Amino acid sequence: MALRVVGSSVQRKEVFAKVTGLAEYVDDVRLPGMIHGLTIRSTVARGRIREIAFEPGVPWDEFVIVTARDIPGKNIVSLINDDQPYLAEEFVNHLHEPVLLLAHGDKDLLRKARGLVRIEYDPLPAIFQLEDATEVMKSYQITKGDVDSVWAQAAFIVDGEYSTGAQEHVYIETNGMVATYDAEAGVTVRGSLQCPFYLQKALMTLFGLPAGKIRIIQQETGGAFGGKEEYPSMIAGHAALLAWKAGRPVKLVYDREEDMAATTKRHPSRTRHRTAVDSEGRLLAMDIEFTIDGGAYTTLSAVVLSRGTIHAAGPYRCDNIRVRSSALTTNTPPHGAFRGFGAPQSLFALERQMDRVARAAGLSPEELRRRNLLHTGDTSSTGQTMQQPLDLEGLQRRALDAAGFDEKVERFARENRTSARKRGIGFATFMHGAGFTGSGERYLQSVVRLETTAEGKVRILASMTEMGQGTNTVLTQIAAESLGTEYSQVEMARPDTALVPNSGPTVASRTSMIVGKLVEKAAAELKKALPLPCDYSPAEFGECVRQHYASDGAVSAEAHYQEPPGVHWDDANYRGDAYGAYSWATYVAEVTVDTATGEVQVDDFTALQEIGRVLNPVLASGQIEGGVIQGLGWALYENVQWKDGGMVNNQMTNYVIPTSMDVPRMKVLFEEVPYEHGAMGAKGIGELPMDGPAPAVLNAVENALGIDFFHLPLLPEEVLSALGHVG
Amino acid sequence: MKPFTYLQATDVPSALRAISSSPDARFIGGGTNLVDLMKYGVEQPAHLIDIGKLPLANIEPLPGGGVRIGALARNSDIANHLLIREKAPLLAEAIVAGASPQLRNAATAGGNLMQRTRCYYFYDTGFTQCNKRIPGSGCAARDGLNRIHAILGTSDKCIATNPSDMSVALAAIGATVQVQGNSGPRSIPFADFHRLPGETPQIDTNLNKEELITAIDVPGFPFALNYCYLKVRDRRSYAFALVSVAAMIDVRAGKIHDVRFALGGVAPKPWRVPAAEQQVIGQEPGAEAYGNAADVALKGARTFPHNAFKLELARRSIIRALTTAAVKGERNGNVG
Repeated sequence: MALRVVGSSVQRKEVFAKVTGLAEYVDDVRLPGMIHGLTIRSTVARGRIREIAFEPGVPWDEFVIVTARDIPGKNIVSLINDDQPYLAEEFVNHLHEPVLLLAHGDKDLLRKARGLVRIEYDPLPAIFQLEDATEVMKSYQITKGDVDSVWAQAAFIVDGEYSTGAQEHVYIETNGMVATYDAEAGVTVRGSLQCPFYLQKALMTLFGLPAGKIRIIQQETGGAFGGKEEYPSMIAGHAALLAWKAGRPVKLVYDREEDMAATTKRHPSRTRHRTAVDSEGRLLAMDIEFTIDGGAYTTLSAVVLSRGTIHAAGPYRCDNIRVRSSALTTNTPPHGAFRGFGAPQSLFALERQMDRVARAAGLSPEELRRRNLLHTGDTSSTGQTMQQPLDLEGLQRRALDAAGFDEKVERFARENRTSARKRGIGFATFMHGAGFTGSGERYLQSVVRLETTAEGKVRILASMTEMGQGTNTVLTQIAAESLGTEYSQVEMARPDTALVPNSGPTVASRTSMIVGKLVEKAAAELKKALPLPCDYSPAEFGECVRQHYASDGAVSAEAHYQEPPGVHWDDANYRGDAYGAYSWATYVAEVTVDTATGEVQVDDFTALQEIGRVLNPVLASGQIEGGVIQGLGWALYENVQWKDGGMVNNQMTNYVIPTSMDVPRMKVLFEEVPYEHGAMGAKGIGELPMDGPAPAVLNAVENALGIDFFHLPLLPEEVLSALGHVG
Repeated sequence: MKPFTYLQATDVPSALRAISSSPDARFIGGGTNLVDLMKYGVEQPAHLIDIGKLPLANIEPLPGGGVRIGALARNSDIANHLLIREKAPLLAEAIVAGASPQLRNAATAGGNLMQRTRCYYFYDTGFTQCNKRIPGSGCAARDGLNRIHAILGTSDKCIATNPSDMSVALAAIGATVQVQGNSGPRSIPFADFHRLPGETPQIDTNLNKEELITAIDVPGFPFALNYCYLKVRDRRSYAFALVSVAAMIDVRAGKIHDVRFALGGVAPKPWRVPAAEQQVIGQEPGAEAYGNAADVALKGARTFPHNAFKLELARRSIIRALTTAAVKGERNGNVG
């Protein structure tokens, strides 16, 4: 087939609507009779609700008020552990926990009313930090070989403890939902979200209604990064409860302060490493303890922990690995999904530790890694045999060459002797598993449908959401090329649970690789169902579809997920094939540390990755650049400040994310080794770029100063303090 | 947002009449701070008097080598003005270190002087304790997260910092603020314009409520080109200073002949200590002299649990800024 759509940087599918303002975001939705909702939240971190009073000052009889007692079904945000209520009933377990809901047509009156709801609590002791937490939400253990049998033979043993702070998503569009209720049709919710079928499931439990009576429609979504994976189920439920009680449409949109304070953030973490190497620097044992702060309710912590646990030993070959991990309960708002999903935390610790092990063993960071990287045929920590062609030493070397690493190490060491501004260069080598962990994809049973239209086009029906990352464009490219038609002749149906099949959630770097493959398969089926000649042009394809539609109506074809052959996962023992495929990378960071002020500036960044096949070069580079910047933010800038279990710098002014001025020169490089079970050879890339920047930067800072840092974010005062300037 | 009336003032006398008509009336210029504060519910004026159309946007030379900056000159226009670039490049550099281009295009000179602190506890009405916002309510920052807060000039009532970069340069230069009241004009030396919190942290400046800033006069300096504005902050743009230093130095025959510096990010007002400057006049330029000046400037500093680093950071920043200014001076041939 001559037509090449995949691999080219076609124009984004929704770009025209976005740049002209036609795209309809949730706050643009106006329905007849619509009123506004507001959430009243707890003001203590833990306590028993003694009394709720409505002080005079507003006409309370005009307000719609929903409390836990109004809930028609179960007061549970149904997800994994079913421990989180939609509205606190007797106890609150974290600050900003929803207690009751108000709605009114007048937003000003609504805000005034907020100050007049008085909730009295009997406070209870609360836990705010990982160090004080004891209640285990979830734990895992990976055991490969026997770490305890080899300590005695080790030439060097290196211990380290690493920790990372929370991180806020700062998507451009804050969370919001518009809900309607009608006895006949049931509940309909439109909103900013990643996973329409998660919301449907949650609202079925909340209302005790069947799937046919809960409809979820995605509005244009202005960024998510995992932050609109689970929490939208809460907001949708709240909007729907108000609409149900009011008998009118209700809009519930968070402002930035509420969104930052009350919704999920990246899990804070602590990782302890004990690593043994022989005299040649070969890994003998990796003993890892990985702990994350889950917050007050489970939400997705169990699966975030799982991914972090599996990535904890990284891309290294070692016969003796033990990873013990746990998610602990505290009294902060629940932490949740965020690009990388646990892997950035455990990989940060590992890639800092590897530099320290190298130093102990008297090897360069490259050489230590080179002696231990996985090869084809080696097994990972879970015992997964690497089937793909792997050349990680080569990948690592090519990244270092592209960054001019060797020359810079030498030059910086020389120049630093006479400068108060010390330069350094460091890197991290890592991987990210694409798709759901273990048997996740098998349980999801994703489906994609294609159907023909009267105009001779083909429409993709899938639950995959566009949130800025390029879902619409990439899936359309795959369909167009598979069908042999033009990119413009394929359209995406809007994710609407009443219209599209469940292709799973738009998370876990799974969209291109797994759902893209289903699009490819469904396209092959659709071609079979059409009377196409052996060889046809895009125009002839369109004509065939149009004529066939006119005579026989729409043709559709479905593809259902099937596990690639030979994949086994043992969920009880955490053994086997954790992911269908991994993307691999080496990231190199170059920094300047000002020893007078403690400021760290990243000057140059090289990101080289092997991601199977690049489906759209501009979008792929965009994912990497954006992910690197988000990673730099987590490493050096983004400092969620907590007080009594709540975020206090919940404003854009005080929560510092990098600006374009802080972004270094960046080289983004791809290597392509097609993965046969991914769409057109593609593997996932959305989360990969979040994993590497932080350890690369802190390794570079070590290279500049000769000082190891163990905690993120690395702020100027910590650098100054380590330099001995501040007591 | 609370409803408010809006009036477009056509001349200075009518603006002054309007501001005097109600205690809840406020002037609005570029609106880059006040509108934010209104959205957050920190400020709730009943009447807004828009002074944006008043003829106060000129930048013109003063006799004696100085420059008069109209109160409504936009920050970008000041920073880009040839007169400022030539006569007070320190001011241009300080302005450009603040905010973002979009904000600088809208923000006025007078408004910059009037901007309010960025203390979290002042900005977030969810905190009930803030003596600046609600006099007598307490100070949540003292026992709270006070990383960004002041180490000099604080009181038991308030430890917030002044966020302006432009004001730090104006303090170092020793500008004069021209104001107009119903009873006539007066001049306020820059050092007296902003107030320390003392017992009344709710009052930021010595400008009376019924007065309007009309201009800022910047004196000419023979060594204006030997300058440095150093701003240490959490990112390169769109961040307030952890510590900033505005410095100018005049070195003649290997000795410090004259020096000016002021600090930002460390106090409730731009922090200039003339005694610190006097201390090093006649000394040999270098880290030792600058360190001595820093020690005098930072005398009496009191840190809080999260901002202890600011003291040493400020000291080092003073040395760095004066060193940089002196190097510039050498390149300029130290032409006094």
